[in-house]
Amino acid sequence: MKPPIELLQGTLDLLILRALQNQPMHGWAVSERIQQISENVLQVNQGSLYPALHRLEHQGWIKADWGVSELGRRARFYHLTAAGRKQLEREAENWERMTEAIGRVMRLA
Amino acid sequence: MMSWADWKLRIRALISPRRAEEDLDEELRFHLEMQARKHRAAGMAETDAEWRAAREFGGMTQVRERCRDQRGLQLMETIAQDIRYALRGFRKTPGFTITVIATIALGLGLNTAAFTAFDAYVLRPLQVRDPHSLYEALWIQADGNDRRLTWRDLEDCRKNAGAFSESIGYEHLLTRIAGHPVIGQLVSGNYFAMLGGETILGRPLVPDDAPAPGGQPVMVLSYRCWSNKFAADPQIVGQKLFVRGYPLEVVGVAREGFAGVGDIPWDFWVPDTISPLLDTANAGPLGGDRFGDYRFRLVGRLRAGWTPGRTRAALQAWARQHSASRLPAERIVRVDLESRATTIPLVREVVLSMAPLLAAFGLVLAVACANIANLMLARAMARQREIGVRLAIGASRKRLVRQLLSESILLAVPSAIVGFAIAQLTVDGCVRVLYATLPRGIVELITIIPLHPDWRVLLFMLGAAILAALLFGLVPALQATRPNIMQAARGEFTTDYRPTRLRHALVVAQLAVSALILITGAILLRQNLRISGVQPGLDTRGVVWLDVQSALGTGVRRQLAADPLVEQVEASSKVPIAGLLRWIAVTPAGAKQRTPAGYLLASPGYLSLFRVPILRGRNFTDEEARANAPVAVISQATATALFAGRDPIGQKLHIHLDGNQIRGANSPAHSEVTVIGVARDAVNGWIGSGTDATCIYFPTTVDAAGRALLVRVRGDAGAARQRLDSALAQSAPGAINQIQPMDEVLNIQRYPFRVAYWLAGGLGVLTLALTLAGIYGVLSYLVAQRTKEIGIRVALGANYRQVVGIILRQSTRLAAIGIAIGAAGALAVSMLIGSQIPNMEPFDVRAFALGASVVFAASLFAAWTPSMRAARIEPVTTLRCD
Repeated sequence: MKPPIELLQGTLDLLILRALQNQPMHGWAVSERIQQISENVLQVNQGSLYPALHRLEHQGWIKADWGVSELGRRARFYHLTAAGRKQLEREAENWERMTEAIGRVMRLA
Repeated sequence: MMSWADWKLRIRALISPRRAEEDLDEELRFHLEMQARKHRAAGMAETDAEWRAAREFGGMTQVRERCRDQRGLQLMETIAQDIRYALRGFRKTPGFTITVIATIALGLGLNTAAFTAFDAYVLRPLQVRDPHSLYEALWIQADGNDRRLTWRDLEDCRKNAGAFSESIGYEHLLTRIAGHPVIGQLVSGNYFAMLGGETILGRPLVPDDAPAPGGQPVMVLSYRCWSNKFAADPQIVGQKLFVRGYPLEVVGVAREGFAGVGDIPWDFWVPDTISPLLDTANAGPLGGDRFGDYRFRLVGRLRAGWTPGRTRAALQAWARQHSASRLPAERIVRVDLESRATTIPLVREVVLSMAPLLAAFGLVLAVACANIANLMLARAMARQREIGVRLAIGASRKRLVRQLLSESILLAVPSAIVGFAIAQLTVDGCVRVLYATLPRGIVELITIIPLHPDWRVLLFMLGAAILAALLFGLVPALQATRPNIMQAARGEFTTDYRPTRLRHALVVAQLAVSALILITGAILLRQNLRISGVQPGLDTRGVVWLDVQSALGTGVRRQLAADPLVEQVEASSKVPIAGLLRWIAVTPAGAKQRTPAGYLLASPGYLSLFRVPILRGRNFTDEEARANAPVAVISQATATALFAGRDPIGQKLHIHLDGNQIRGANSPAHSEVTVIGVARDAVNGWIGSGTDATCIYFPTTVDAAGRALLVRVRGDAGAARQRLDSALAQSAPGAINQIQPMDEVLNIQRYPFRVAYWLAGGLGVLTLALTLAGIYGVLSYLVAQRTKEIGIRVALGANYRQVVGIILRQSTRLAAIGIAIGAAGALAVSMLIGSQIPNMEPFDVRAFALGASVVFAASLFAAWTPSMRAARIEPVTTLRCD
């Protein structure tokens, strides 16, 4: 197995928003989900995850409520707000454009 | 922008920082547990799994710190830090803290006291239904005079103008009830219904009380009048009270707080249609024999959705049409609307007339702020090394400014609290002093509306305190943290580092304000001295003035003449000293130009009663008065103005009356009169305008209607007044509307000037004291800062006198600049006041000289001690330190 890749600067927010798009989750689940979907290529640094979650909450893109986890323990569940959904759309689009542009440069330059 | 949820979080974090922290801890702990569980599930041993999870996570504290930063909780914490830091500083310098709080509190307190009165009269809505939709209509005639409406005009306006949804007519009525002077209103029958004036006893006035001329002889008392003058008598309803000699039945007492609309809280209300019964003073020029002659004011309620502009236009259209058949000069050409939401409407004239006073109070606060700004600046400079070091190790300027500002805000809060107490004491004290010093004759009459602070006062206080904190805090904070302070940290002073310039500006500003207030004060004081120095030229001692109800006049005069206390009974068309003379235009025989002149109708003994000597010619005889002969006596000043050197005796005077004046009643009866005598100058008009510039006496009899009766008594006038009043109350109840010794009338008229005198003087002294303290503080500091320089000078051989000279020269220069600016300001202010007050002399050289020299002397005095200290500097010690 190849070693996991460090996350590109600024992409963590996008990944968190995307992970929360379909259902509310607690912090640990977010990191697990990103890891799983990326097939362990993307490793979320735990030390960045929580500040990022709090930053997004502060910006009003996600909201947290205390709920009960699948194992019956109290946990903070995050979900997307309306503003968060818009932000996700914007950032996803930017991401598309950027990767496409980088891809073109890599192929043709 | 922060969302509400965010604020909630911050507030929660501030109130219970524990709770937010615990939430965060729990969240992170949960993560660790889940991670450890995952590792266990993958087959790790219990302790290994936990250890690995913790290692993956990284530094718990750092993560926590970073989470906190992200949430912006830090702002709250730094504020708390600033507060703790500032409080620690205050504890270390209690003297400084107390000085600041006391100075600002004084300024704030005085301003709040002034604002409390302003608020009560001008801003606080009256306690009537929907006061903000009430407007009074002012009807302006082509000749510029405003005109009131007759009862029929009112009815017509109500029916045909369609401007207001509802409206009332009213006029005030000054009288005495059971010996107490009272002011009430004549009102239309819908007054109480429209204003929401419920009663606590009996019933209010209703439309049936005032259906048509005649009306019902009933009255409603205000709660205040009922409780103050009738001891809250529960049996009052049904009693008959004499008003202007006529018995009226009390039908109700209004609820507490209801005082009607108008300039003052009213004592009682009677139907407007009984005006003829009461022979009220609002009769037209013909006197009150026909009901149609009585005039009223109109207050209406705006229709829903109508602007005052639209209402005004509708009233104007009605008024133009309604007055079309009148003489051209009397046609109504304009209607003005004035809000009746408050006691005094907030219009330009009112604000303008109060502006000088409010500005004076504001300037006192400004001086206090300048003082403290200087102090804070000096303190910040003393801490420059500390600030420099903090800037050097990376504190942002914003952070430091915020810290210095929070210091000033923290000082402003207790200042506001102390200031509020000072304001309450001031208001209370002023009302007490007012009652104690008011002439007895009006103390019963005036009702000061309650001056309790409301939310507007608190808001004002808050605003003023914050403004003050910014004023005295922001400038020093910005100055002290200027980036080049870095040099200060190293003890280097380059040429462009000049905090002194700002401090000089502050001192100059203070001196300017102080000079401005003192010079303006001096002008006002001298003006008042002139007025209180004006001798009425009438011997008022032993003379009592009576305003008698016309219908009962004959009986009263007979009784007075028979009373052993009474020496002489005379009459005039107006009581002297109070109120302006009426004016007419006259042309002396042989001249062409019309000259305006004041006049008085007086009985033959009027001049001798007041001991005014006839200088030339003779007085009228009783026969001339009875026959209404075409003769006149003129004052000396009038003789000079009209005949300039010629002998006035025997000259003819042509008399012109303008459209409003009708011959007879209160105007001269003839179009041409012969001058038969010249009397010494006196004050028959208002004492505030000084000795009459012109006064023509026309003969009248004691028995003519509508005259002020003047009685010379034996012995003390005050005692005689009591005796006569109670004797007349027995024989002719309600006949005497007013009875005052003339000395009392004089006191009452001089009183406002005395108040202005003390106010101007008090504010002036206070400002001077504040300025003195300010100059002293700043110069002391300047000397302290120049210690090194002075030390070098002394070391190089400068002597005592030279050193003192340096300091004094510096302060003299500042004083000169400040005084020059202040004098220019004072000139502008006094010209503004002069345009409002008659007979004011804005170019009073002595007042300017006086104010300027006091400020100059004070600044020298304040500079003296610091300069002495400078002179005693030991060069060796100063050069050695630092």
